Amino acid sequence: MNVYIAGVGSTKFGVLPDRTLQSIAAEAARAAIADSNIPPARIGCVFVGNFVGGIMTGQELLGPIIAADLGLSNVAAVKIEAACASSSAAARIAYDLIRAGAEDVVLVIGVERLTGASRHALTTAMTAAIDQGTEGAAGLTFPAFWAMVMARHMHLYGTTREQVAAVTVKNRQFGVRNPLAQFQKQVTPDEVLASPPISDPIRRFDCCPATDGAAALVLTNQTLAKHYGSPAVRIAASVLVNGPARITDYDEITVHDGTVHAASRAYEIAGVGPEDINIAELHDCFSVAEIVDSEDLGFFAKGEGGPAAAGASSVRNSKLVINPSGGLLSKGHPTGATGCGQIYEVVMQLRGRHPNQVPNARLGLTHNGGGTAAAVTVHILESLR
Amino acid sequence: MQGTVQSHTIIRVPDKSHAAMAPFVLLLVELANGKRVLGHFHGASPPAIGSRVTAETSEQTIPVFREEMP
Repeated sequence: MNVYIAGVGSTKFGVLPDRTLQSIAAEAARAAIADSNIPPARIGCVFVGNFVGGIMTGQELLGPIIAADLGLSNVAAVKIEAACASSSAAARIAYDLIRAGAEDVVLVIGVERLTGASRHALTTAMTAAIDQGTEGAAGLTFPAFWAMVMARHMHLYGTTREQVAAVTVKNRQFGVRNPLAQFQKQVTPDEVLASPPISDPIRRFDCCPATDGAAALVLTNQTLAKHYGSPAVRIAASVLVNGPARITDYDEITVHDGTVHAASRAYEIAGVGPEDINIAELHDCFSVAEIVDSEDLGFFAKGEGGPAAAGASSVRNSKLVINPSGGLLSKGHPTGATGCGQIYEVVMQLRGRHPNQVPNARLGLTHNGGGTAAAVTVHILESLR
Repeated sequence: MQGTVQSHTIIRVPDKSHAAMAPFVLLLVELANGKRVLGHFHGASPPAIGSRVTAETSEQTIPVFREEMP
Protein backbone atom coordinates (compact mmCIF):
# COMPACT_ATOMS: atom_id res chain seq x y z
CA MET A 1 0.00 0.00 0.00
CA ASN A 2 1.33 3.43 -0.89
CA VAL A 3 1.76 5.98 1.89
CA TYR A 4 1.22 9.70 1.47
CA ILE A 5 2.06 12.84 3.38
CA ALA A 6 -1.33 14.52 3.32
CA GLY A 7 -0.46 17.61 5.34
CA VAL A 8 2.48 19.43 6.86
CA GLY A 9 2.88 22.20 9.41
CA SER A 10 5.71 24.01 11.13
CA THR A 11 6.44 26.76 13.58
CA LYS A 12 9.26 29.18 12.93
CA PHE A 13 12.57 27.70 14.03
CA GLY A 14 14.59 29.90 16.36
CA VAL A 15 14.42 31.39 19.82
CA LEU A 16 10.82 31.11 20.99
CA PRO A 17 10.77 32.61 24.48
CA ASP A 18 7.81 32.07 26.76
CA ARG A 19 6.59 29.09 24.72
CA THR A 20 6.21 25.58 26.10
CA LEU A 21 7.00 22.34 24.32
CA GLN A 22 3.30 21.58 24.29
CA SER A 23 2.25 24.89 22.76
CA ILE A 24 4.71 24.83 19.86
CA ALA A 25 3.93 21.15 19.20
CA ALA A 26 0.21 21.94 19.09
CA GLU A 27 0.78 24.89 16.74
CA ALA A 28 2.61 22.73 14.21
CA ALA A 29 0.16 19.85 14.59
CA ARG A 30 -2.92 22.02 14.05
CA ALA A 31 -1.32 23.50 10.93
CA ALA A 32 -0.57 20.04 9.53
CA ILE A 33 -4.09 18.76 10.22
CA ALA A 34 -5.66 21.82 8.58
CA ASP A 35 -3.29 21.48 5.61
CA SER A 36 -4.35 17.84 5.08
CA ASN A 37 -8.10 18.58 4.95
CA ILE A 38 -8.57 15.38 6.98
CA PRO A 39 -10.91 15.63 10.01
CA PRO A 40 -9.03 15.18 13.31
CA ALA A 41 -11.45 12.41 14.26
CA ARG A 42 -9.81 10.19 11.60
CA ILE A 43 -6.45 10.27 13.42
CA GLY A 44 -5.69 6.95 15.08
CA CYS A 45 -2.15 7.50 16.27
CA VAL A 46 -0.03 10.40 17.52
CA PHE A 47 3.75 10.02 17.62
CA VAL A 48 5.83 12.77 19.20
CA GLY A 49 9.51 12.83 18.25
CA ASN A 50 11.50 14.48 21.02
CA PHE A 51 15.05 14.11 22.29
CA VAL A 52 15.74 16.08 25.49
CA GLY A 53 12.38 17.46 26.61
CA GLY A 54 12.78 15.73 29.95
CA ILE A 55 16.30 17.04 30.55
CA MET A 56 15.75 20.60 29.33
CA THR A 57 12.20 21.29 30.52
CA GLY A 58 11.37 18.53 32.98
CA GLN A 59 8.38 17.51 30.87
CA GLU A 60 7.84 13.91 29.81
CA LEU A 61 4.76 11.93 28.68
CA LEU A 62 4.56 14.22 25.68
CA GLY A 63 2.43 11.86 23.58
CA PRO A 64 -0.70 11.80 25.74
CA ILE A 65 -0.31 15.42 26.89
CA ILE A 66 -0.02 16.86 23.38
CA ALA A 67 -2.78 14.58 22.05
CA ALA A 68 -5.04 15.86 24.82
CA ASP A 69 -4.13 19.47 24.01
CA LEU A 70 -5.22 18.76 20.42
CA GLY A 71 -8.55 17.38 21.62
CA LEU A 72 -7.67 13.85 20.47
CA SER A 73 -8.94 11.03 22.68
CA ASN A 74 -8.88 7.25 22.40
CA VAL A 75 -5.77 7.35 20.21
CA ALA A 76 -2.38 5.67 20.61
CA ALA A 77 -0.11 8.55 21.68
CA VAL A 78 3.55 8.02 22.54
CA LYS A 79 6.92 9.75 22.43
CA ILE A 80 9.62 8.34 20.13
CA GLU A 81 13.28 9.05 20.93
CA ALA A 82 16.24 8.55 18.62
CA ALA A 83 18.28 11.64 19.57
CA CYS A 84 18.37 14.11 16.65
CA ALA A 85 16.54 11.60 14.42
CA SER A 86 13.57 11.27 16.80
CA SER A 87 10.81 12.65 14.59
CA SER A 88 12.00 11.08 11.34
CA ALA A 89 12.15 7.75 13.19
CA ALA A 90 8.57 8.42 14.28
CA ALA A 91 7.67 9.12 10.64
CA ARG A 92 9.15 5.75 9.68
CA ILE A 93 7.00 3.93 12.26
CA ALA A 94 3.92 5.84 11.10
CA TYR A 95 4.76 4.88 7.50
CA ASP A 96 4.88 1.20 8.48
CA LEU A 97 1.49 1.35 10.21
CA ILE A 98 -0.20 2.97 7.20
CA ARG A 99 1.53 0.67 4.72
CA ALA A 100 0.44 -2.39 6.68
CA GLY A 101 -3.14 -1.14 6.83
CA ALA A 102 -3.07 -1.06 10.63
CA GLU A 103 -3.88 2.68 10.74
CA ASP A 104 -5.56 5.04 8.29
CA VAL A 105 -4.23 8.37 9.56
CA VAL A 106 -1.20 9.02 11.78
CA LEU A 107 -0.09 12.39 13.12
CA VAL A 108 3.68 12.74 13.57
CA ILE A 109 5.00 15.70 15.54
CA GLY A 110 8.61 16.69 16.17
CA VAL A 111 9.28 19.19 18.93
CA GLU A 112 12.16 20.58 20.99
CA ARG A 113 13.04 23.52 23.23
CA LEU A 114 16.78 24.12 23.53
CA THR A 115 17.28 27.83 24.05
CA GLY A 116 17.58 29.67 27.33
CA ALA A 117 19.97 27.19 28.96
CA SER A 118 23.66 27.75 29.65
CA ARG A 119 26.20 26.51 27.11
CA HIS A 120 27.43 23.84 29.54
CA ALA A 121 23.87 22.68 30.28
CA LEU A 122 23.07 22.42 26.57
CA THR A 123 26.30 20.53 25.83
CA THR A 124 25.60 18.17 28.71
CA ALA A 125 22.05 17.53 27.46
CA MET A 126 23.22 16.83 23.91
CA THR A 127 25.88 14.41 25.13
CA ALA A 128 23.11 12.23 26.55
CA ALA A 129 23.25 10.64 23.08
CA ILE A 130 26.88 9.62 23.65
CA ASP A 131 27.60 6.35 25.48
CA GLN A 132 28.20 7.75 28.95
CA GLY A 133 29.89 4.65 30.28
CA THR A 134 32.74 4.88 27.80
CA GLU A 135 33.14 7.84 25.48
CA GLY A 136 31.20 10.35 27.55
CA ALA A 137 33.66 9.65 30.37
CA ALA A 138 36.53 10.59 28.01
CA GLY A 139 34.88 13.95 27.37
CA LEU A 140 33.60 13.32 23.84
CA THR A 141 31.03 15.89 22.69
CA PHE A 142 29.28 16.16 19.33
CA PRO A 143 31.44 19.07 18.14
CA ALA A 144 34.43 16.88 19.12
CA PHE A 145 33.05 13.88 17.21
CA TRP A 146 32.63 15.94 14.04
CA ALA A 147 35.95 17.71 14.61
CA MET A 148 37.68 14.33 14.54
CA VAL A 149 35.77 13.40 11.38
CA MET A 150 36.80 16.72 9.83
CA ALA A 151 40.47 16.43 10.80
CA ARG A 152 40.66 12.95 9.32
CA HIS A 153 38.74 13.93 6.15
CA MET A 154 41.26 16.75 5.65
CA HIS A 155 44.12 14.32 6.26
CA LEU A 156 42.88 11.58 3.92
CA TYR A 157 41.39 13.61 1.07
CA GLY A 158 43.02 17.01 1.24
CA THR A 159 39.74 18.70 2.12
CA THR A 160 40.50 22.30 3.04
CA ARG A 161 39.22 24.58 5.78
CA GLU A 162 37.90 26.91 3.07
CA GLN A 163 35.91 24.12 1.37
CA VAL A 164 34.21 23.28 4.66
CA ALA A 165 33.47 26.95 5.33
CA ALA A 166 31.77 27.14 1.94
CA VAL A 167 29.00 24.89 3.25
CA THR A 168 28.09 27.41 5.95
CA VAL A 169 28.24 30.29 3.48
CA LYS A 170 25.91 28.48 1.03
CA ASN A 171 23.39 27.43 3.67
CA ARG A 172 23.30 30.90 5.21
CA GLN A 173 22.51 32.28 1.74
CA PHE A 174 19.52 29.94 1.50
CA GLY A 175 18.43 30.87 5.01
CA VAL A 176 18.08 34.53 4.07
CA ARG A 177 14.98 33.72 2.01
CA ASN A 178 13.42 31.10 4.29
CA PRO A 179 11.03 32.80 6.73
CA LEU A 180 11.17 29.76 9.03
CA ALA A 181 14.97 29.96 9.39
CA GLN A 182 16.65 30.95 12.64
CA PHE A 183 19.54 32.70 10.86
CA GLN A 184 18.48 34.96 8.01
CA LYS A 185 21.78 36.76 7.61
CA GLN A 186 24.60 35.88 5.23
CA VAL A 187 28.13 35.23 6.44
CA THR A 188 31.40 35.48 4.52
CA PRO A 189 34.08 32.78 4.36
CA ASP A 190 36.36 35.07 6.38
CA GLU A 191 33.74 35.38 9.12
CA VAL A 192 33.44 31.59 9.33
CA LEU A 193 37.21 31.16 9.51
CA ALA A 194 37.58 33.90 12.13
CA SER A 195 34.79 32.68 14.40
CA PRO A 196 35.88 31.29 17.80
CA PRO A 197 37.16 27.69 17.94
CA ILE A 198 34.81 25.21 19.61
CA SER A 199 36.57 21.89 19.07
CA ASP A 200 39.47 22.24 16.66
CA PRO A 201 39.20 22.45 13.66
CA ILE A 202 35.48 23.23 14.13
CA ARG A 203 34.59 26.85 14.76
CA ARG A 204 31.40 28.46 15.94
CA PHE A 205 30.03 29.18 12.45
CA ASP A 206 30.59 25.53 11.53
CA CYS A 207 28.02 24.61 14.18
CA CYS A 208 24.25 24.62 13.94
CA PRO A 209 22.54 26.76 16.58
CA ALA A 210 20.46 25.73 19.58
CA THR A 211 16.89 26.06 18.40
CA ASP A 212 13.30 25.89 19.55
CA GLY A 213 10.70 24.63 17.11
CA ALA A 214 8.16 22.07 16.02
CA ALA A 215 7.05 20.50 12.76
CA ALA A 216 4.30 18.01 12.04
CA LEU A 217 3.11 15.61 9.33
CA VAL A 218 -0.18 13.84 8.63
CA LEU A 219 0.35 10.46 6.97
CA THR A 220 -2.42 8.52 5.29
CA ASN A 221 -3.27 6.07 2.53
CA GLN A 222 -4.19 6.78 -1.08
CA THR A 223 -7.93 6.35 -0.54
CA LEU A 224 -8.20 8.98 2.19
CA ALA A 225 -5.74 11.36 0.54
CA LYS A 226 -7.95 11.36 -2.57
CA HIS A 227 -11.21 11.45 -0.62
CA TYR A 228 -10.24 14.58 1.30
CA GLY A 229 -8.39 16.24 -1.57
CA SER A 230 -5.15 16.40 0.40
CA PRO A 231 -2.20 18.12 -1.32
CA ALA A 232 -0.36 14.83 -1.02
CA VAL A 233 3.22 13.78 -1.67
CA ARG A 234 4.07 10.07 -1.94
CA ILE A 235 6.65 8.50 0.34
CA ALA A 236 8.68 6.43 -2.13
CA ALA A 237 10.95 5.05 0.60
CA SER A 238 11.25 5.35 4.37
CA VAL A 239 14.28 3.70 5.96
CA LEU A 240 15.60 3.69 9.52
CA VAL A 241 18.82 1.87 10.37
CA ASN A 242 21.36 1.90 13.15
CA GLY A 243 25.00 2.78 12.64
CA PRO A 244 28.00 2.64 14.97
CA ALA A 245 26.89 3.89 18.39
CA ARG A 246 30.42 4.88 19.46
CA ILE A 247 33.20 6.64 17.58
CA THR A 248 35.47 3.72 18.48
CA ASP A 249 33.05 1.32 16.73
CA TYR A 250 33.79 2.92 13.35
CA ASP A 251 36.15 1.16 10.95
CA GLU A 252 36.70 4.55 9.29
CA ILE A 253 35.16 7.68 10.79
CA THR A 254 34.88 9.50 7.45
CA VAL A 255 32.46 6.82 6.21
CA HIS A 256 29.17 6.72 8.10
CA ASP A 257 27.88 3.20 7.68
CA GLY A 258 24.36 4.05 8.84
CA THR A 259 23.96 6.65 6.12
CA VAL A 260 25.48 4.39 3.45
CA HIS A 261 23.17 1.50 4.34
CA ALA A 262 20.03 3.63 4.75
CA ALA A 263 20.61 5.35 1.42
CA SER A 264 21.33 2.14 -0.42
CA ARG A 265 18.14 0.55 0.88
CA ALA A 266 16.06 3.67 0.18
CA TYR A 267 17.27 3.91 -3.42
CA GLU A 268 16.47 0.23 -3.94
CA ILE A 269 12.95 0.53 -2.49
CA ALA A 270 12.19 3.68 -4.49
CA GLY A 271 13.73 2.29 -7.67
CA VAL A 272 15.89 5.36 -8.15
CA GLY A 273 19.53 6.34 -7.72
CA PRO A 274 21.29 9.38 -6.28
CA GLU A 275 21.49 10.86 -9.77
CA ASP A 276 17.67 11.08 -9.84
CA ILE A 277 17.34 13.24 -6.73
CA ASN A 278 16.55 16.93 -7.35
CA ILE A 279 16.68 18.22 -3.80
CA ALA A 280 18.16 16.90 -0.58
CA GLU A 281 17.82 18.10 2.98
CA LEU A 282 20.87 16.67 4.74
CA HIS A 283 21.79 16.55 8.40
CA ASP A 284 24.34 19.38 8.41
CA CYS A 285 24.60 19.67 12.19
CA PHE A 286 28.18 20.79 11.46
CA SER A 287 29.41 22.10 8.13
CA VAL A 288 31.68 19.11 7.51
CA ALA A 289 28.68 16.81 8.04
CA GLU A 290 27.11 18.01 4.79
CA ILE A 291 30.31 17.06 2.95
CA VAL A 292 30.52 13.59 4.52
CA ASP A 293 26.78 12.95 4.15
CA SER A 294 26.74 14.04 0.51
CA GLU A 295 29.43 11.46 -0.18
CA ASP A 296 27.81 8.67 1.85
CA LEU A 297 24.47 9.30 0.10
CA GLY A 298 26.19 8.76 -3.24
CA PHE A 299 25.95 12.31 -4.56
CA PHE A 300 29.74 12.59 -4.77
CA ALA A 301 32.60 10.11 -4.61
CA LYS A 302 34.42 9.86 -1.28
CA GLY A 303 36.78 12.81 -1.03
CA GLU A 304 34.95 14.90 -3.64
CA GLY A 305 32.43 16.44 -1.28
CA GLY A 306 34.80 19.23 -0.28
CA PRO A 307 35.63 20.43 -3.81
CA ALA A 308 31.93 20.10 -4.72
CA ALA A 309 30.96 22.36 -1.81
CA ALA A 310 33.58 24.94 -2.74
CA GLY A 311 32.66 24.76 -6.42
CA ALA A 312 29.03 25.39 -5.55
CA SER A 313 27.98 22.42 -7.66
CA SER A 314 25.25 21.80 -5.13
CA VAL A 315 23.78 25.29 -5.03
CA ARG A 316 20.38 26.32 -6.31
CA ASN A 317 19.57 25.80 -9.99
CA SER A 318 22.20 23.11 -10.45
CA LYS A 319 21.03 19.52 -11.03
CA LEU A 320 21.05 18.67 -7.32
CA VAL A 321 20.31 21.28 -4.70
CA ILE A 322 21.44 20.52 -1.16
CA ASN A 323 19.74 22.10 1.84
CA PRO A 324 17.72 24.80 0.07
CA SER A 325 15.98 25.37 3.42
CA GLY A 326 19.26 26.65 4.82
CA GLY A 327 19.82 23.30 6.54
CA LEU A 328 20.45 22.86 10.21
CA LEU A 329 23.23 25.45 9.97
CA SER A 330 20.83 28.23 9.04
CA LYS A 331 17.27 27.06 9.53
CA GLY A 332 18.28 25.68 12.94
CA HIS A 333 18.32 22.36 14.74
CA PRO A 334 15.54 21.78 17.27
CA THR A 335 16.84 18.21 17.56
CA GLY A 336 13.62 16.25 18.07
CA ALA A 337 11.82 18.36 15.46
CA THR A 338 14.51 18.39 12.79
CA GLY A 339 13.45 15.22 10.94
CA CYS A 340 9.87 16.41 10.49
CA GLY A 341 11.20 19.87 9.63
CA GLN A 342 13.31 18.44 6.81
CA ILE A 343 10.31 16.52 5.44
CA TYR A 344 8.20 19.69 5.68
CA GLU A 345 10.77 21.53 3.55
CA VAL A 346 10.92 18.83 0.86
CA VAL A 347 7.12 18.56 0.72
CA MET A 348 6.87 22.31 0.11
CA GLN A 349 9.46 21.98 -2.67
CA LEU A 350 7.55 19.11 -4.29
CA ARG A 351 4.35 21.16 -4.15
CA GLY A 352 6.18 24.03 -5.87
CA ARG A 353 5.60 26.39 -2.93
CA HIS A 354 9.01 26.85 -1.34
CA PRO A 355 10.62 30.30 -0.89
CA ASN A 356 13.82 28.84 -2.40
CA GLN A 357 11.91 26.86 -5.01
CA VAL A 358 13.96 24.44 -7.10
CA PRO A 359 12.47 24.40 -10.62
CA ASN A 360 10.80 21.14 -11.67
CA ALA A 361 11.60 19.33 -8.42
CA ARG A 362 10.13 15.82 -8.65
CA LEU A 363 12.16 13.70 -6.22
CA GLY A 364 13.42 14.86 -2.84
CA LEU A 365 15.48 13.13 -0.17
CA THR A 366 15.83 13.76 3.55
CA HIS A 367 18.67 12.45 5.67
CA ASN A 368 18.50 12.71 9.46
CA GLY A 369 21.07 11.33 11.91
CA GLY A 370 20.93 10.74 15.65
CA GLY A 371 23.96 10.42 17.93
CA THR A 372 27.20 9.41 16.24
CA ALA A 373 25.11 8.68 13.10
CA ALA A 374 23.89 5.79 15.25
CA ALA A 375 20.24 6.19 14.22
CA VAL A 376 19.84 7.24 10.59
CA THR A 377 16.75 7.80 8.48
CA VAL A 378 16.51 8.39 4.76
CA HIS A 379 13.20 9.34 3.18
CA ILE A 380 12.63 9.70 -0.55
CA LEU A 381 9.54 11.70 -1.46
CA GLU A 382 7.87 11.94 -4.85
CA SER A 383 5.82 14.80 -6.27
CA LEU A 384 2.36 13.97 -7.60
CA ARG A 385 2.07 17.20 -9.58
CA MET B 1 49.31 0.51 25.45
CA GLN B 2 50.62 1.58 22.04
CA GLY B 3 48.85 2.71 18.90
CA THR B 4 48.51 5.07 15.96
CA VAL B 5 46.60 8.36 16.01
CA GLN B 6 43.53 8.15 13.75
CA SER B 7 42.27 11.63 14.55
CA HIS B 8 42.33 14.34 17.17
CA THR B 9 40.71 17.50 18.45
CA ILE B 10 41.18 20.13 21.12
CA ILE B 11 37.96 20.41 23.12
CA ARG B 12 37.39 24.02 24.15
CA VAL B 13 33.68 23.78 25.03
CA PRO B 14 33.32 20.65 27.19
CA ASP B 15 30.37 19.17 28.98
CA LYS B 16 29.91 20.05 32.64
CA SER B 17 31.92 17.14 34.04
CA HIS B 18 35.02 18.07 32.00
CA ALA B 19 34.77 21.84 32.41
CA ALA B 20 37.79 22.07 34.71
CA MET B 21 40.03 20.30 32.18
CA ALA B 22 39.32 22.51 29.15
CA PRO B 23 40.94 23.05 26.79
CA PHE B 24 42.19 19.48 26.43
CA VAL B 25 43.31 17.18 23.63
CA LEU B 26 41.21 14.13 22.77
CA LEU B 27 42.74 11.42 20.58
CA LEU B 28 41.21 8.55 18.62
CA VAL B 29 43.87 5.85 18.65
CA GLU B 30 44.00 2.52 16.83
CA LEU B 31 45.82 -0.06 18.94
CA ALA B 32 48.05 -2.78 17.54
CA ASN B 33 45.22 -5.33 17.88
CA GLY B 34 42.94 -3.17 15.70
CA LYS B 35 40.80 -1.98 18.62
CA ARG B 36 40.16 1.77 18.81
CA VAL B 37 40.15 3.82 21.99
CA LEU B 38 39.62 7.43 22.99
CA GLY B 39 42.32 8.92 25.14
CA HIS B 40 43.74 12.14 26.46
CA PHE B 41 47.20 13.48 25.64
CA HIS B 42 50.12 14.95 27.50
CA GLY B 43 50.52 18.27 25.73
CA ALA B 44 48.57 21.28 24.56
CA SER B 45 48.71 20.43 20.83
CA PRO B 46 47.74 17.04 19.41
CA PRO B 47 50.24 14.84 17.56
CA ALA B 48 49.79 14.48 13.80
CA ILE B 49 47.42 11.84 12.43
CA GLY B 50 49.51 8.72 11.84
CA SER B 51 51.81 9.40 14.79
CA ARG B 52 52.68 6.58 17.16
CA VAL B 53 51.59 7.11 20.76
CA THR B 54 51.95 5.23 24.04
CA ALA B 55 49.70 5.37 27.06
CA GLU B 56 51.51 6.06 30.30
CA THR B 57 49.60 3.44 32.20
CA SER B 58 47.11 0.76 31.28
CA GLU B 59 45.39 0.95 34.68
CA GLN B 60 43.55 4.20 34.06
CA THR B 61 39.99 4.13 32.71
CA ILE B 62 40.79 6.88 30.21
CA PRO B 63 44.30 6.34 28.80
CA VAL B 64 46.64 9.32 28.70
CA PHE B 65 48.92 9.09 25.66
CA ARG B 66 52.36 10.47 25.00
CA GLU B 67 53.96 10.69 21.55
CA GLU B 68 56.60 8.03 20.92
CA MET B 69 60.05 9.33 20.14
CA PRO B 70 61.34 8.15 16.73
